[in-house]
Amino acid sequence: MAQEKKPVEVFQKEHEHDEDDHHTPGTVVLTLALLVSFAVYYFANWKALADVWHVR
Amino acid sequence: MSTAIAIEPPARESSPSGLSVGNHPSAGVRTCETTGLPVCLTAQQFIRLNAVIAVVALLAGGVAALLVGLTRWPTVHLLDPVWYYRLVTFHGLNMLIFWILFMEIGILYFAATTLLNTRLFSKSLAWTSFAMMLSGAVLVDVTILLGKADVMMTSYVPLKAHSNFYLGIILVAVGTLIGVGNFFGTLYIAKRDKTYIGSVPLVVFGATAAAIIAVVTLLHGAIVMIPTWLWSLDVIKHVDAGWYRLIWWGLGHQSQQVNVCAMVSVWYMLGTITTGAKPINQAVCRGAFVLYILFINLASAHHLLVDPGVGASWKIWNTSYAMYLAVLASMIHGFTVPASVEVAMRKKGHNRGLFGWLAAAPWKNPGFSAFFLSLLIFGFIGGITGVTLGTQQINILAHNTLRIPGHFHSTVVGGTSLAFMGLAYYVVPLIFKREFYARGLARIQPYIFAVGIVIMSLGMSFAGSYGVPRRHWDVQFAGAQFAAGFGSGAHVMLGIMGVGVVLAFVGLITFVLLVVAAVFFGKKIENRPMTAW
Amino acid sequence: MSIHVPEETWFKPPSGAERTWIGLALAWCLVLSIMMPYWHFKGKQNSTGDSYSVTPTAFGARVEQFVKTNKVGETNGIPIVEPSPGGDAYLQAQMWRWYPVLKLKEGQTYRLHVSSMDLQHGFSLLPMNMNFQVLPGYDHVLTITPTIKGEYSIVCNEFCGIGHHLMTGKIVVE
Ligand code: HEM
Ligand SMILES: [Cu+2]
Ligand SMILES: [Cu+2]
Repeated sequence: MAQEKKPVEVFQKEHEHDEDDHHTPGTVVLTLALLVSFAVYYFANWKALADVWHVR
Repeated sequence: MSTAIAIEPPARESSPSGLSVGNHPSAGVRTCETTGLPVCLTAQQFIRLNAVIAVVALLAGGVAALLVGLTRWPTVHLLDPVWYYRLVTFHGLNMLIFWILFMEIGILYFAATTLLNTRLFSKSLAWTSFAMMLSGAVLVDVTILLGKADVMMTSYVPLKAHSNFYLGIILVAVGTLIGVGNFFGTLYIAKRDKTYIGSVPLVVFGATAAAIIAVVTLLHGAIVMIPTWLWSLDVIKHVDAGWYRLIWWGLGHQSQQVNVCAMVSVWYMLGTITTGAKPINQAVCRGAFVLYILFINLASAHHLLVDPGVGASWKIWNTSYAMYLAVLASMIHGFTVPASVEVAMRKKGHNRGLFGWLAAAPWKNPGFSAFFLSLLIFGFIGGITGVTLGTQQINILAHNTLRIPGHFHSTVVGGTSLAFMGLAYYVVPLIFKREFYARGLARIQPYIFAVGIVIMSLGMSFAGSYGVPRRHWDVQFAGAQFAAGFGSGAHVMLGIMGVGVVLAFVGLITFVLLVVAAVFFGKKIENRPMTAW
Repeated sequence: MSIHVPEETWFKPPSGAERTWIGLALAWCLVLSIMMPYWHFKGKQNSTGDSYSVTPTAFGARVEQFVKTNKVGETNGIPIVEPSPGGDAYLQAQMWRWYPVLKLKEGQTYRLHVSSMDLQHGFSLLPMNMNFQVLPGYDHVLTITPTIKGEYSIVCNEFCGIGHHLMTGKIVVE
């Protein structure tokens, strides 16, 4: 398995013990995309609801 | 990758204290040649039994799904009304209850014994559980197919089925409860015998959360099904329709949380097995499981949002506090799971751009593709639609329309079932010790199923947005007293759904054939690791 | 690894992007939670679950009384009934019809009582697409204000036996 990191980086990683390992920009984009689609669908439904008969 | 699967041997991380010698009786355990994990042979036997019945139920439910789906496609309109309603009942029970529960009992036995290096608590309990579940399932299926229980899986009173239908469900529920008890027993002896030191692994933690919710769920099942059974025998004169719905959904809703817990545990497991992923922060993952346990108790409310008898404040309170903290939990897992894969892939050097790690992921490994597609479908379709439909007022637009099956086919099918399929690509070689045939087909099976389910779900959801009802034989209402029907938009959506149904069925039947061929006729794997995917 | 016993020091607070995401998700869940009470007070579409206990026989009698007093015509052998604006209207669900046909005025408010004579049914107003559960033993009161003129059908969307898909009714809004 290729470990293509610079030795310095690896060294730092070892020391900081996971702390800096959290570099997950892809996941951040993925989850933000989820949040945006969520909000769009959710509020589109409120909009649709506002158009029907009134009921209590 | 040269190694069979990317698991490091247990000793590495859990260090000297992690796993001890275990508590297995002599000749009661073997060491997995692929993973180095200990496998309790009794547990292995019951994982096999439960998995086989699960796949049989999946096949039965799948055939019914195709026929039902082709009936809902107006251009085809395959079955007559009697068989349509009968098979909707049959499909719901075989899929949601039998396929899922048998798989989950297998998963609980696996998680407790193998990951904690312990023996199974009790073989006779395992037999009792299995026998009760199986006989209950057979009783239910026979009763339905004889035409004595055309009541849908929800069997809303005062619609009445033959008493054997309720009896069968009670047998399945009690059998499952015994299996769950056996899981807790196993946790107990592992702790007592110190087969591990420290905290249980994350997957066991998730499985335990599932098991705890399952107990609460099955108790609701007992509270509602026993009087209903007695009512079907004329011992009790009356069961209130509103009361039944309230308690039934205590069973019906919370069991979905069991499925979510089990699915998320499987995600973590497959993430680890296929990419070497390691959760960034175990406290976060475990905390999210705890949220599931704590905040799901009255979420049966979101099935009663347009019911009489329960007031607005009850509806709002129980959907917001109970549901949204569970939603929070899912959103947390929705981050931690892909993040753990991203970290693992980047560590292997796949650092290019935002998504280089994802592109380089083992997409040809059906264990991985099933897992990641399950994650995407569950999050992007199942989660979003579910929360929206479960909003008190929005439910007016959705209750009992096809939007509901559109939603849950992307949670419990595109999510849970697909994840379980991914798991099977490891269970067969590692627990049944058989090689798959047609590995090329296996590599694409998750994609076929996922694409089919997505198309079907979207078709259902959008057809439902026009008001197309679920559980309904004829959307043209031919012969009804007053004309009713839907415009071309809804019909297009139902056609799209139909295409998805066929594709999903192809994916499902491919899975069943691959598994059956491997389990019964596959090349034995003896004294060697499985062939890597 | 998720399948192994974790390091002893596994308990630590979330940090970095994970922590930000938890915060965002929590904020979003709060938005979700607030929307429902907000709509309850400000919105025009709410399911309050307003209902009263009633036996099917008693409900049937009220429906008959209502039909007798307010009948204005007949279609397909089913009476057309025009309740007075602001007043009570009745709709009876039974295997497999909605009874009677209602004639309502746009912009007027009615207390629509819906209940079942036998099994559970589903009130589904098309093409408006509004859906409510109908239970035997419960007089479900929907305080409705039709906002758009037209002919609407009511279909049943809770399975109620082999004739379920034939169960239709009608509401006319003028
Ligand atoms: C090939 C895969 C599948 C297809 C094509 C399929 C298709 C369908 C269709 C067409 C319906 C009927 C909707 C209606 O007319 O109301 C349905 C209902 C349902 N399906 Fe599936 N399904 C599949 C797999 C599954 C799985 C794996 C599960 C559960 C784990 C599941 C659970 C259900 C449930 C609970 C219902 C509701 C039954 C009811 O209304 O009582 N399905 N499915
Ligand atoms: Cu009906
Ligand atoms: Cu019906």
